[in-house]
Amino acid sequence: MIRAPAFLSGLGRFYIGLVLVFLYLPLIIMAAMSFNASPFYQLPFEGTTEWYAALAQNDGLIAATLNSLKIAVMTTILATVLGTAASLALFRYEFRGKRVLQALLFPPIAIPWLISGTAMLIFFFGTGIGRGLHAILLGHVALALPYVIIVVSARLQTFSKDLEDAAASLGASSWQTTRKVTLPCIAPGIVAGGLFAFAVSFDQFVVSYFLATPGQTTLPVEIYAAIRKGFTPEINAVSTIIIVFSMSLMLVVSRFFRFGGDQ
Amino acid sequence: MARVEVQNVSLTFGAHKAVDDVSIAFEDGGFYALLGPSGSGKTTLLRMIAGFEFPDEGSIRIDGEAVENVPVNRRRIGMVFQNYALFPNMSVEANVAFGLEVRGETGEAVRRAVAEALDLVQLGALAKRRPHQLSGGQRQRVALARAIVTKPRVLLLDEPLSALDKALRTDMQVELKRIQREVGVTTIFVTHDQDEALSISDRIGILKDGRIVQEGAPEEIYDRPKSEFAATFLGEANILSGEVSGGRLQLDATTAIALPQGTNAAPGRLRCAIRPERVRIAAAPTGVNGDRAGQLRGTVVRRLFSGSASTYFVDCTGREMKAIVQRGGGADIVVGSPVALDWDPADLIPLPAA
Amino acid sequence: MATTGTRRQNGLAKALPLLTPAYAWLTLAIFLPLSAMVYFSLLTSMSPSEQSSSLTLANYAAFFSDPLYATLLWRSLQLGLLVTLICVVVGFPAAYVLAKIFKGRAREAIFLLVILPFWSNSLVRVFSWSMVLREGGILDTALNAVLPFEVTFDLMYSFPAVVIGLVHSYLPYMVLTCYLSLQAIDDALIEAARSLGASRFTTLRRVVAPLALPGVLAGSALIFIPVVGSFMEPRILGGRGGTLYGTVIEDQFTAVYNWPLGAALSFILLAVVLAILLVSAPVLRKAA
Repeated sequence: MIRAPAFLSGLGRFYIGLVLVFLYLPLIIMAAMSFNASPFYQLPFEGTTEWYAALAQNDGLIAATLNSLKIAVMTTILATVLGTAASLALFRYEFRGKRVLQALLFPPIAIPWLISGTAMLIFFFGTGIGRGLHAILLGHVALALPYVIIVVSARLQTFSKDLEDAAASLGASSWQTTRKVTLPCIAPGIVAGGLFAFAVSFDQFVVSYFLATPGQTTLPVEIYAAIRKGFTPEINAVSTIIIVFSMSLMLVVSRFFRFGGDQ
Repeated sequence: MARVEVQNVSLTFGAHKAVDDVSIAFEDGGFYALLGPSGSGKTTLLRMIAGFEFPDEGSIRIDGEAVENVPVNRRRIGMVFQNYALFPNMSVEANVAFGLEVRGETGEAVRRAVAEALDLVQLGALAKRRPHQLSGGQRQRVALARAIVTKPRVLLLDEPLSALDKALRTDMQVELKRIQREVGVTTIFVTHDQDEALSISDRIGILKDGRIVQEGAPEEIYDRPKSEFAATFLGEANILSGEVSGGRLQLDATTAIALPQGTNAAPGRLRCAIRPERVRIAAAPTGVNGDRAGQLRGTVVRRLFSGSASTYFVDCTGREMKAIVQRGGGADIVVGSPVALDWDPADLIPLPAA
Repeated sequence: MATTGTRRQNGLAKALPLLTPAYAWLTLAIFLPLSAMVYFSLLTSMSPSEQSSSLTLANYAAFFSDPLYATLLWRSLQLGLLVTLICVVVGFPAAYVLAKIFKGRAREAIFLLVILPFWSNSLVRVFSWSMVLREGGILDTALNAVLPFEVTFDLMYSFPAVVIGLVHSYLPYMVLTCYLSLQAIDDALIEAARSLGASRFTTLRRVVAPLALPGVLAGSALIFIPVVGSFMEPRILGGRGGTLYGTVIEDQFTAVYNWPLGAALSFILLAVVLAILLVSAPVLRKAA
C-alpha cells in the first residue's frame, strides 16, 4: 500500500468527521431537545425529564409501541424460519427456474414501499383480508423475507458442501446433518438475518401506514400522525428512545454479521 | 472390511460421460489408488462407491451386497475429503464421535472408541481443540480418525494429501500406510499424483476419459504399461515409433533399433516406450562414420540438474530423447556435445496399437 | 474435480417443501397485490363489488389530460436525480477514505458508525431535521451566535429541506455499496498503476473509478427508486412546497379515496422506474 501523504490522509479523516457530523447532528439535537423544558425548543437549554414522564401517560403511544414490538417479534420468527428454509433449498439443490426464484427476491426490496403498500391495501381490501395488525404482519414478513434469504445465503456461501457430504458419509440422515452440522455452522447468519427482519419490521412506516386502522396501529404510524397534527416534545422523547433502541440492536447485529468488514 | 466390486458402471452428466462402463474389483484389505488426470472420472467413481452419485447403469457391491441404490448414510463407508471437511462447530473429539453418535451410540463405548482412534493417529493430546487451532497435517489425522472410528467396510480417500506441502505429504503417506495396515480396512485412494500412487498403494487403477486404462501392481504398470497414456502418465517415457521388419524397428530410412528378444510383432507400425533411466548416454566422437556404438546418436540440447540425478535432452535428428543419469554415474556431459544413446533391448516396451 | 451430485439433479422435488412457504408468502403479500393493482387501475369506481364498476382507461387518461400529474412526476424524478447525485458526490469520497485510508478496527468502527443511522427509524430521522432547519432552530441560532451580522435562516418547509432530509436518509446506502466495491479492489492494482508512473488522480480516474462503478450504480439505483416514490419526507419537511408525485398518490388512498386513480398513478410510477432501469440496464451490466 502506498501510504497517502499525511496531509491527504488528514484531509480524509476530517472529511469523514464532517460526514459523521451531518449524519448524527440532527439526532443529537433531537435527543437534547427531548430533555429541554421549553416545548417550542427555545434556548437556553433547561433540563427536564417531564416529556419522558408524559410518555408513560400516553396510552395511544404505549399501545402502538406494544403492537410494533409484537409484530416485529412475530415477523422475526416467521421470516427467519421461512427464509432459512428457502435459503437451504436454494443452496442445496439444482433445478430449473432457480435463478428466477432468486431474482424474485429483489422486487420486494426494490419497488418503492409506497407502491407495495398501496398494492397491499387494494388487494387485502378486495379479498376480504382487510386491514389491521394481521395485514401489517402479512406485509412485514414479505418485506423482511428477502433480507433474511440474502443474509443467510451469504453465510451459506462460506459453508462447504463437503461438510454435509462428510456428515452423510458418517451415517447421518438428512435431518441429522441439517440440525447438527449445517444450522450450527450458519447460526451467525441466521441470527443476523433475524435481527435484520426485526429492524425492517420495527422501523417500517410506509406499508404499516396504509394497512393500519385507527385502533390497530404501530409506533411509526402513530408518530407520523402526531407530527402532522403538530409537534409535541413527547414525540422527541419517544423518537430518542427508538433511535437508541434500534442503534443498539444493530450494534448487536454487527457482532454476528460483518457488513463488508475486512473479510 | 470388505471386497468392493464395481461392474459395468456408467454415469453421464448431461452430454459428458464422466464414467464409462467401468469394471474393477477392490480386494478385502487392499490399498488401491485411482490415478488419472483431472476430468478422468476418478473422483466420480469414488463418489459412486461412497453413495454421493448414483450410476446410470451397472452395479456396485460391497461385501456381496448390491449398494448402488443405497444412500451414502446407510452404506457404512468412511471417507476423507480433500479439504478435510472437519465440522468447525465441534471439537476434535466431537468430530470423531459424530459418526458413532448419529448411529445412536452413547456413553463410555463412544468415549473409548474416540480415544482409541485419536491414539491411532497420535492426536490424543489435542482432543479438546477446535479444527481451526490445528495444523494441516493434524486436521488430516483427525479426518482419518473420524472416518475409521465407525469401523467402515471401506475407506475412501479423495486426494487427501493434496493440500499439504511436499515434506509433510511424504510423512503422511508413510503414516497413512501404517494406519491402513493396522486397521486392515479396504482402502481406495484417489490421486492425480503419480509418485504418491506408486509409493502408497498395493494396486493402481489408471483412468482416462471415464475408463480404466490399466489396473495392476505399481511395478507391473511401471514396467509393462499397456498404452502410451499409461507409460507417460505413470513415470516418464520416451516413445519411439516405426515399422517392424526383421525383428527390428525401422524408425526412419537410416535408423533401426533392436526389438526385445521374442517379440513376435506383426510387420507394420509399432510404438515402443523406453524409460529415461534405462537409457545410457556416452560422449561420442564427432564425424566418425560407420561407428555403430549405441542405438541412437544425437546432440545434447538441454540438461536439467535435480540433485541426485541429471536429465539430458538429446536431439536425435529431430527426435527428442530423454536420458536420466544418477549423480556420480559418469562424467558430466556439456550441452552441445555429440552423444550416443544405448539401452538393453529387453527394456524396450512394445505398446499395443491404440 | 468438483462434481455436482446426482442427488442434486432434479432437485426441485426436494427443494419444493422448503421453498413453498416463503414464496407462497411473497406471492400473497407482494406479487398478487401488484397484479391486483394493475386490475384495479382499470376500474371506474372505487369498490370492485359495486355493480356499476366496469373496465376503463379513464384513470390513465386522467394522468395525460391533467398536466399537473406529469409535472409532479417530472419534479419527483428531478428530486430523485438530485438526491442521487448529491449522495454520489458526498458518499463516494467517504467510502474511498474508509476503504483505502482507514485500517483495521478503526475502519470497522467508523464504517459501522456511518451505516448505523440507516437502520434506525427513517421517519424519526427526517423529523429530527425539523428542529435543525426551522427559524429559531439550532442552525439559525448557531449561525447568529458566530456571525457578526444578523441572518434569518429558515429552510423548513422548502424544497432544499426535503433534499437535505432525503440525502441524510439515503447517504449510508451509497457509502455501503461504494465501500464494498472499493474494498474489493486489490491495493496491488493501485500500486501497479503508481509504479507505472500514474499520478494519484490518474490512478483514481483510470483504475479505481472504473472498478468501483458497479458499487456507485447499485447505490444509485437503491437511492433513486425509493426517492422518486417518497411522500413522508416531503410531507414532514416540505410543507406546501413538498407536493410531489408520491404525496398525490398518498392523497388518493388516504384523503380523496379515489383508489383506481391512485392505483393507476402508482402503476405509472412503477412503469417509469422500470423503464429507467431497463434503459440503464446495459450500462449496469457492463459495469458488473
